[in-house]
Amino acid sequence: MERVLEKGERMILLVDMDAFFASVEQAHHPHLRGQPVIVCGDPSRRGVVTAASYEARPSGVHAGMPLQEARRLCPEAHYVEGNPEKYVAISLALLKLYLTITPDVEPFSVDEAFLALGGSLGSMDEATAIATDLQVAIEARFGLSASIGIGPSKLVAKMAAALEKPRGLVALDEEGFRRAFWPTNVQTLWGVGPKLTERLGALGIATVGDLAHAPAEALEAAFGIIGPQLREAAWGRDETPLVPYHEGVDAKSMGHEVTLPEDCDDPAFLEGTLLRLSDQVARRLRSEGYLGRTVAVKLRDKRFTTRIRQRVLPDFTADHRAVFDAAKTLWRENWNGEALRLVGVTVSSLERASSGDQTELFTPDRRAERLREAMDQVRDKLGEASLVPAGALTHRRRLGHVPFGPVTGLRRKDRA
Amino acid sequence: MTFESLSDPVDVLTAFVDGRIQPLRFRWQGRVVRVRRVTGEWNRREGSTLMRYFSVESHGADTYELCYDPRGPRWILSRAWSASSRKGRG
Repeated sequence: MERVLEKGERMILLVDMDAFFASVEQAHHPHLRGQPVIVCGDPSRRGVVTAASYEARPSGVHAGMPLQEARRLCPEAHYVEGNPEKYVAISLALLKLYLTITPDVEPFSVDEAFLALGGSLGSMDEATAIATDLQVAIEARFGLSASIGIGPSKLVAKMAAALEKPRGLVALDEEGFRRAFWPTNVQTLWGVGPKLTERLGALGIATVGDLAHAPAEALEAAFGIIGPQLREAAWGRDETPLVPYHEGVDAKSMGHEVTLPEDCDDPAFLEGTLLRLSDQVARRLRSEGYLGRTVAVKLRDKRFTTRIRQRVLPDFTADHRAVFDAAKTLWRENWNGEALRLVGVTVSSLERASSGDQTELFTPDRRAERLREAMDQVRDKLGEASLVPAGALTHRRRLGHVPFGPVTGLRRKDRA
Repeated sequence: MTFESLSDPVDVLTAFVDGRIQPLRFRWQGRVVRVRRVTGEWNRREGSTLMRYFSVESHGADTYELCYDPRGPRWILSRAWSASSRKGRG
């Protein structure tokens, strides 16, 4: 029976692109269609799986898995070097398509977006028809498939989208949500991870339905303010607002990390890597109008043990030297000389440069500031790879074009 | 399939259809590759320049990535995927 929406009620769509990166490669390279495809960094180097096509997934390959293991599980797959800039560009083109349907579009990740439908919409069937048309348009224009979840809230839409993939289209109201999810493991609830599942399990809560019927007081006692929110979510209730694309959301942190071509214990190389990462992060802070005050380094060794250490700076900054100095100090304090597999630099505690702490504006080092402005102008005109800190050059040569943007003149030939 | 990461300037015969660029054929390594269809398009900003990329499939079923750089203007062949055993491609 058709469900009629109440006046003012909105429907939320979650559009989730199916195996996005792998599907883009299959769309652009017809010989990959119907084949297991694994998107990664440079396939001739080691690294991790970025995305696996649906044809590769039955082998057990998934995103984040070391390439070496993926090759063991799925040796017949096509290993394709990913192109993040391409995926971001297509993601932005998809957002433009969504904006032809509604102005209320919130990008959730590179391959997911929430759309709010409202106003003249009369029923859930109408929302389903719009979603069907959208799936057809995405297929026709991009050669890609999407799964869409529809519901009265972001929570319901998000979880509905996961019920059927690929090319799924699931519409649920709160009652439908309860029918679909109450019997399932509590970890299927959006936002509930393995640790929270364990803690809920200790209270005898195994399913979403158990959570819905757990005493609110007991949940509040165990989890504080999020306890009652979890219970509401288990009922399919969610008041989280949709933040439209054009309104933007302030960033909380900015970071870059890189899996090294091989495990590395060369201090000069590691320092060059930190410098380049610090430069990238600081450049991004400046270009998006932020200053940051907390610098963190991430170090992962060959046994996949990860350490993240952070330090608060005396002043807010968007200067790569200040970020690098902090990152270098943290690295020296926490590196035991063991070969590293991955390093990363993140800056958090962000403030808008125009409205937040302006301490950096009063820095006595005007020469450095002018140099930074000049460097930004060159990069704005000629691109990110046109200028890099000299200390990162050795690093750049060894990594080739990965992952810091194109370096012209390089030629490479691989078996795909 | 053989994959090559390239940066080769190429001559491209191009049509402008409904305000869109459509590569039709290009000359590479002394031979002409005829484009059967454009399988994907995207843009990338390099400084102030908007680089336009096209994934194309040839009549020989090889695929290529062409880049239009308006600063020249010029076309660059940036990637190629081809069946190494196939002869008379394009």
